Amino acid sequence: MADIISIGTGAEPAGRLSAGRLRLVAFTAIAAFMVAGPAAEQIFGVQTPWLRSWTMFSAIGLGVIDASFEIRRPDGPLVPLDRFELLGAPRNGRLKRIESSEELASVIKRLCIAAGQGADIRVRARQGTRSGWQTIHTDAQNACAD
Amino acid sequence: MPARTDAAADWLAVRPTHAMAARFVDWAVDTEGSSRSSALIRIGLAMLFWSRWAGELLLYRDQSPAGLFLAANFFVATMLLFVGYHSRVAAVWAGSVGLAMYYYFGFQLGREPWTHHHAYLLAVAALLIALTPCGRSYSLDRYLAVAHAERMGVPPPAERGNLWGLRLIVAQLSVLYFFAAFDKSSHAFLSGARIEQIFLWFYDGSDYPAGLALPATIVSFGVVGLEYGLAFGLPFRATRRYLVLPGLAFHAIIYLTLPVYTFSATMALLYLAYFDADAVDRVIARLQGIGSAGIAREEIS
Repeated sequence: MADIISIGTGAEPAGRLSAGRLRLVAFTAIAAFMVAGPAAEQIFGVQTPWLRSWTMFSAIGLGVIDASFEIRRPDGPLVPLDRFELLGAPRNGRLKRIESSEELASVIKRLCIAAGQGADIRVRARQGTRSGWQTIHTDAQNACAD
Repeated sequence: MPARTDAAADWLAVRPTHAMAARFVDWAVDTEGSSRSSALIRIGLAMLFWSRWAGELLLYRDQSPAGLFLAANFFVATMLLFVGYHSRVAAVWAGSVGLAMYYYFGFQLGREPWTHHHAYLLAVAALLIALTPCGRSYSLDRYLAVAHAERMGVPPPAERGNLWGLRLIVAQLSVLYFFAAFDKSSHAFLSGARIEQIFLWFYDGSDYPAGLALPATIVSFGVVGLEYGLAFGLPFRATRRYLVLPGLAFHAIIYLTLPVYTFSATMALLYLAYFDADAVDRVIARLQGIGSAGIAREEIS
């Protein structure tokens, strides 16, 4: 700040003193409003569109599902399952990003149908939430048996 | 006697506080300087308004009375802001249009992208630049003032003014950075989970790439640390010199990797407010081989 202060105007005529005080009051009020918005939401939990919270990137990515699929081979071991290949879907299509547990259930159902009767498909999945990752599906059981 | 000693101690303690407060007040509302950096921000904001919204507000897009009224106000206000005709009024007008788009068209009428941070920042920046002498340089206002002075046979007015609007922009940016970092100061973010989710959402879909966890955690700590650093360090010259480039790089990376519209560009433009307006003026004068506003002032006085 010192570099900026050094160019101050110094003593001002008495008539301009009130303008300076007015500016100081306005500066304080505007700065207080700037702080009030994010403080209201982030500290006091008050959510209103009238105040900007500056909670950036707080909603992007919520709900996204990190899923991995495995299928049991006829000779016993589990191997990674490529859902795009099994369903004949493009890798950059709608199947790329699973955004809800309902969508995941639909993908599992389609995989089980495509793999055929008696298929053993294991699914590990977790969903993005505000507090981190939440496990929504474990590979303890055959997903096709549900 | 002990009471007197206490009083003396109190007086000694209070005096530096008063001096600091006086320095702050001087910095905040009593500083005059070149109007050229304010003018550059004014012009940049007008261009950012167009970059963000002009395409959506072309007259054929929304032919309802409200849509046409909004478009007319938007284009007239931003054009005046750009050319600098009644610049400060134009800045208030453009900022008000921006706030109307944010609050009414965004929140009330449901145009969701208009409720984002970048929209609010643009509107508020226009309102704050109205508190600067943004029309005294690089403007039609300036041209008319010089022409008038020539007709009257007097020197042209100085390209200077009170810079409290720039100080408010500095305050706004620091508040923005601080609370952006404060919001991320949680286990969910610092563990890297939120960065992983954002990465999956935009890039890898539901297939978690191997080796993402460690970089995500490092980036998370880096982002939060940088934002706190920018909040407290950019206003001061001693720390600013180390933070400007990381700050600009941070916004450039965000711009390239995530859909933040005009947010990064607006932030970069508003960084001008951090710099001593007269120092910015001297750089401009040196680059263009012209006199600075300071020289012009000395010639007048």
